[in-house]
Amino acid sequence: MLEDFSSYLPLSPASLHILLALAGEERHGYGMMQEVARQSEGQYKLGPGTLYDNLQKLTSHGLVEQAPHRRPDDDPRRRYYRLTAAGRGVLTAEIARLESVIHEARMHLRTLPRRAS
Amino acid sequence: MTRTLYGCLVRLHPPAFRREFAGEMLWIYDEAAPSGGAAPLFLDGFVSLARQWFLRSGYWKILAALAGGLFQVMIGGAIMLRIGQHRAQLTHYMAGNTELATLVRLVAFTAIGLLAAVIFLVFWWRKLARRIGV
Repeated sequence: MLEDFSSYLPLSPASLHILLALAGEERHGYGMMQEVARQSEGQYKLGPGTLYDNLQKLTSHGLVEQAPHRRPDDDPRRRYYRLTAAGRGVLTAEIARLESVIHEARMHLRTLPRRAS
Repeated sequence: MTRTLYGCLVRLHPPAFRREFAGEMLWIYDEAAPSGGAAPLFLDGFVSLARQWFLRSGYWKILAALAGGLFQVMIGGAIMLRIGQHRAQLTHYMAGNTELATLVRLVAFTAIGLLAAVIFLVFWWRKLARRIGV
C-alpha cells in the first residue's frame, strides 16, 4: 500500500537539500553541508544551526535517523545520519511535486506572448 | 577566542537542542571556520538561537498572545477616543438608558476585540506555518 506523504509537502528548501544530501549515502553534519553546497553549486549554503534545526525536525518526524559510526576511531562528536524509508518516500513525493510545478511553469511560459524585440 | 564565543552562542540554545547537537556544532565550527571564516557561522548561530527559543520552544505563543492583547487594547483605546469625540451626540442618543448604553458598548468592544484577535492569530499562524513548513 502506498503511503500518503502529502502532509509533509512542500518541504522547506533546507529540508529538501538535507534529504537530497542523504539520498546517496549516509553522511555526518559537515558532510551534509558540503554536499548541499556542491549540489547547489555554491548557491545555497547551510549553516550548522539551520542544519541541526532541520535535522531535529526531520528526525522527530521519522524521516532521518542516526546511523552507527563507520569506524571505531571516528571523532565521537561526528555522528552519521541516513534516510529512513519514510524519508525516501517524502523526498520522492516532493520531487514529483516539483516536477509537476516545473511542467506547469513550462506550459505557461510557452503560452506567454513573446516580446517584440 | 572566536571559538570560545561560538561555544557560548551554542550554549545559549535550549537545553534539549544543546544536549543533542552542541558537540557537533562545535566540531563543524572547527572544520569550517578556517576555510570559510567565522562570520557566516556566527550569523547562522544567532538566527538558530532566535528560531530555537521563539519558534521551536513554543515561546512564540506567549509573544502572540501578548501582541494580540496589546492589539486589542490599542483597538479598544482608539475606539474609546473616537467615541469620546462624539460623546455629546451619543449621550443625547442614549440619555434615557445609561445601562443599555454601557451594555451596548461592552458587547461592541468584546466583539471587536475578539474579531481583531482572531484575524491577527489567523494571519500570524498562516505566515508562520508557511515559514516553518507545517
